[in-house]
Amino acid sequence: MPPEFADPKLQLALALALGALGLYLLLPKPKRRSVAAGTFLLIAGLAVLGAFVAESFGNPVGQLVPDILFWLFSAGAVGFGTMLVTQRNPARGAISFAFVILSSCGLFLLLAAPFLMAATIIIYAGAIIVTFLFVLMLSHVKGPSNENDRAREPLLGSLAGMAFVGLILFVLLGAKPAEAATTSDDSETEFALPATLLTKADRSALREVHTSLGEALSGDDAKASHEKAQTAHDKLAEVIGGDGVTGKRKPVLERLAPLIGDPKRPTTHDPRLLAFTAQTLQLQKANDGVEDRYLLAAPGKADRAALQKLKDEVAVYSGNGQLPARNVSNLGLLLYSEHLLAVEMAGTLLLVATIGAVAIAGRRKGVPA
Amino acid sequence: MISLWHFLIVGAVLFGLGLVGFLTRRNMITLFLCAELMLQGVVLNFLAFGRMHGSLNGQVFGLFIITVAACEAGLALALFLMLYRRGRSLDSGLWQTIREQGVPPAIDTEPLPIETEEPHPVLPVTGMKPGVAPREREVTRA
Repeated sequence: MPPEFADPKLQLALALALGALGLYLLLPKPKRRSVAAGTFLLIAGLAVLGAFVAESFGNPVGQLVPDILFWLFSAGAVGFGTMLVTQRNPARGAISFAFVILSSCGLFLLLAAPFLMAATIIIYAGAIIVTFLFVLMLSHVKGPSNENDRAREPLLGSLAGMAFVGLILFVLLGAKPAEAATTSDDSETEFALPATLLTKADRSALREVHTSLGEALSGDDAKASHEKAQTAHDKLAEVIGGDGVTGKRKPVLERLAPLIGDPKRPTTHDPRLLAFTAQTLQLQKANDGVEDRYLLAAPGKADRAALQKLKDEVAVYSGNGQLPARNVSNLGLLLYSEHLLAVEMAGTLLLVATIGAVAIAGRRKGVPA
Repeated sequence: MISLWHFLIVGAVLFGLGLVGFLTRRNMITLFLCAELMLQGVVLNFLAFGRMHGSLNGQVFGLFIITVAACEAGLALALFLMLYRRGRSLDSGLWQTIREQGVPPAIDTEPLPIETEEPHPVLPVTGMKPGVAPREREVTRA
């Protein structure tokens, strides 16, 4: 590849120009619509964009399956999204939107959000698309029509959209760290949620616990795994506190005690504190579970599932590292403790929207049906 | 390894596509689907950042976005039905009478292509004309 073409900014500009031109040619209008040329330009633009992403942000080697899935799903989402935008027939547009949803649900799974994936498929692909198809059937038009065969300022519109994408990608290009391709867990940053009371020392200790739990799980040697798990268990007990633990630092539960009183009967009403306490107690329970079912179990009966559970809990608790895939119960905990008010408000919003929709769509006297 | 940036790029491209569709298309239903496309891009960003920080709050936000989108869909469909009853069309250009003062109206200059619809196939007339069966005729004569 010649050096001037390998410049990422030039690649980005080329991809966006191809995309804008292709979208302009593909958007429905009475004259100058060329499906073949537009499709060709868009595919070329996507290829250049893919090359840009792979070169500037790292083309992953090593984890083959997630990478293939990522490229597949993102190409599906973008491709079907383009079809939705440029399709003349709105019914076909709705179908391609359903495919966009399916593709982006694949991306949700890659981002460790199984509950959101299921909810999105049920709500979007199941409910919204079907309702839209009903409305489309009610308002079916025959032959060419203003709404389907004309676009409002197609050239300016596609240029504006692509300029927007270019702006974001340019900022991303400038903002990426030197090793963007390899650093997915940013370990030194302080993020407030969900564990607000953890200090930096706590976090690093938790990270060590997480690492040694992972080593204990992946090791073949039963004795070494046992030792690793024992170290992790002791260290975790030191961080969060428990019966008969004497550490150098004050454990988390001790620090919590003056804020909330007795964990069983808290004196505070701060939902974040309560949620944090609940999460800490849950982690402590998982740690005890590891002691009972793994560390003290007979050699043949050691329960690795308890160890795995503890590892997931530690990851969520510390707010660092990779999110475990099985996080639905933690999502529920967060939703109904920290965000309880927001959940109630969302429910109210749904109710109000239902009433409003019925009021708007109902037939009244004086309006021609 | 797929990093945060890859997902941010996909989200941005989805948002941009939805923006193009929202700016240019005239069918109100397509407009709405394009708005949903933009929301998908936003949800993707939330999830990617949540994954990066190992925090579940991004997913919580995603759930709320879906809730709002569902409300929006219900209200938008009701509005579309009402507008369709008044204007007999889903064209958003039909409602440009409520535009801002001093803005010239958008007038479509190029005529729409006339679709030459192929006529439905017609079968040639063959065979006997269906009528009353002969025996029934005899019965009625008697």
